[in-house]
Amino acid sequence: MSKLRNRLLVAPLLAVLGLVALAGPASASGESVGGCMAELFTEAIEEAHGDVAHAAHDVAVQSALEKCFEAPSPIIPEVNEIIWGGSAFLILFVIMAKKGFPAVKGAMDARADKIRDDLDAADQAKTDAQSVKTDYEAQLADAKAESSRIINEARVTADQLKADLAVQAEASIAEMRERAAADVESSRQQAIADLRTEVASIALGAAERVVQSSLNAEVHGNLIDAYIDEVAENNG
Amino acid sequence: MANPQVAGYAEALFAVAAAEGNLAVVEDELFGFAQAIRSNDELRSTLADGNVPAGRRLQVVEDLLSGQATATTSALVSLVVGAGRAADLPAIVDAFIERSAASRNKAVATVRSAVDLSVDQRQRLAEAIKTSSGKDVEIKVVIDPTVLGGVITEIGDDIIDGSVRRRLNQLRESFR
Repeated sequence: MSKLRNRLLVAPLLAVLGLVALAGPASASGESVGGCMAELFTEAIEEAHGDVAHAAHDVAVQSALEKCFEAPSPIIPEVNEIIWGGSAFLILFVIMAKKGFPAVKGAMDARADKIRDDLDAADQAKTDAQSVKTDYEAQLADAKAESSRIINEARVTADQLKADLAVQAEASIAEMRERAAADVESSRQQAIADLRTEVASIALGAAERVVQSSLNAEVHGNLIDAYIDEVAENNG
Repeated sequence: MANPQVAGYAEALFAVAAAEGNLAVVEDELFGFAQAIRSNDELRSTLADGNVPAGRRLQVVEDLLSGQATATTSALVSLVVGAGRAADLPAIVDAFIERSAASRNKAVATVRSAVDLSVDQRQRLAEAIKTSSGKDVEIKVVIDPTVLGGVITEIGDDIIDGSVRRRLNQLRESFR
């Protein structure tokens, strides 16, 4: 790359040098208005054999001098300019053909190859990205399907759990009701038994007090006599 | 008569009472004293307490029986209490009475009643028991207010309960 860059720098440098070097002779070959007039007037003086006034009043000389004021053709250059320009062009063309154009062409080819490689890499990257995108979309679809499956399973499990809890709650409530009913019945029976015992105790206490109050000597005697008779009758 | 010490003391008491010739009186007095010990926890514990000096325990016996019992009875009770057998005195007396009754070919019928039985009632009860069980018995009455009314007769292991207390208990059971 550095070699190619050097060639690209050298080619325009050579072209500029050529133009500068060849421009000098080209400009030197051209004549000024003064020079033209001096040359014509000198020639006219020589033709007039040294008679400057004659030469100056000569109409032909004056016409020739007037021509020095006429501009050169704007289209057709001077011959020497054509020679120098053509030579410079040829030299520059040869140099460019030998050195500049191959370097530019190589640089252009390298640039084209690089762009082509970049385009190929971009296509490959695009293809890879497309593949990754496809994989990602597939994975996303799988994830969505998996998530849907998990959600459905969770929903089914939750429904089952809810149903089980409801059944267990119903069973617990029924058991609690039965237990409560049994407790109530047990308490009722216990209360009845306690009440019966209490009533019996009160009744027996009252009966005992009545008996004690009614047990005088005569009653005691009668009870003992009755007992004796009972023992006597219980023969064997 | 499973306890040999009790049987031995009963035999000794019987021998002494028989020798003194007042067996029936001694029987009644010892029977009464034994019932007093059974019904009085403080008296029983005092006479049976080994920590109480023997002289003190004998003094208690003398105080209780002086003028209330014959000299023979007092001497016999003092013998038992002085020997440290006061706790066994009721059993000894029971064995003594049975031994005494046996000497007359009779059994002992312990009669519990709220009031004392008359002589006629005792005689008729003895005849009734003889009629019903064929045993010739001597009646020993224990006054027990808890009987309320009627009589409970114990002859050995046999019990004839005709008390008002039993009837009240039956009534109590019928309520349950």
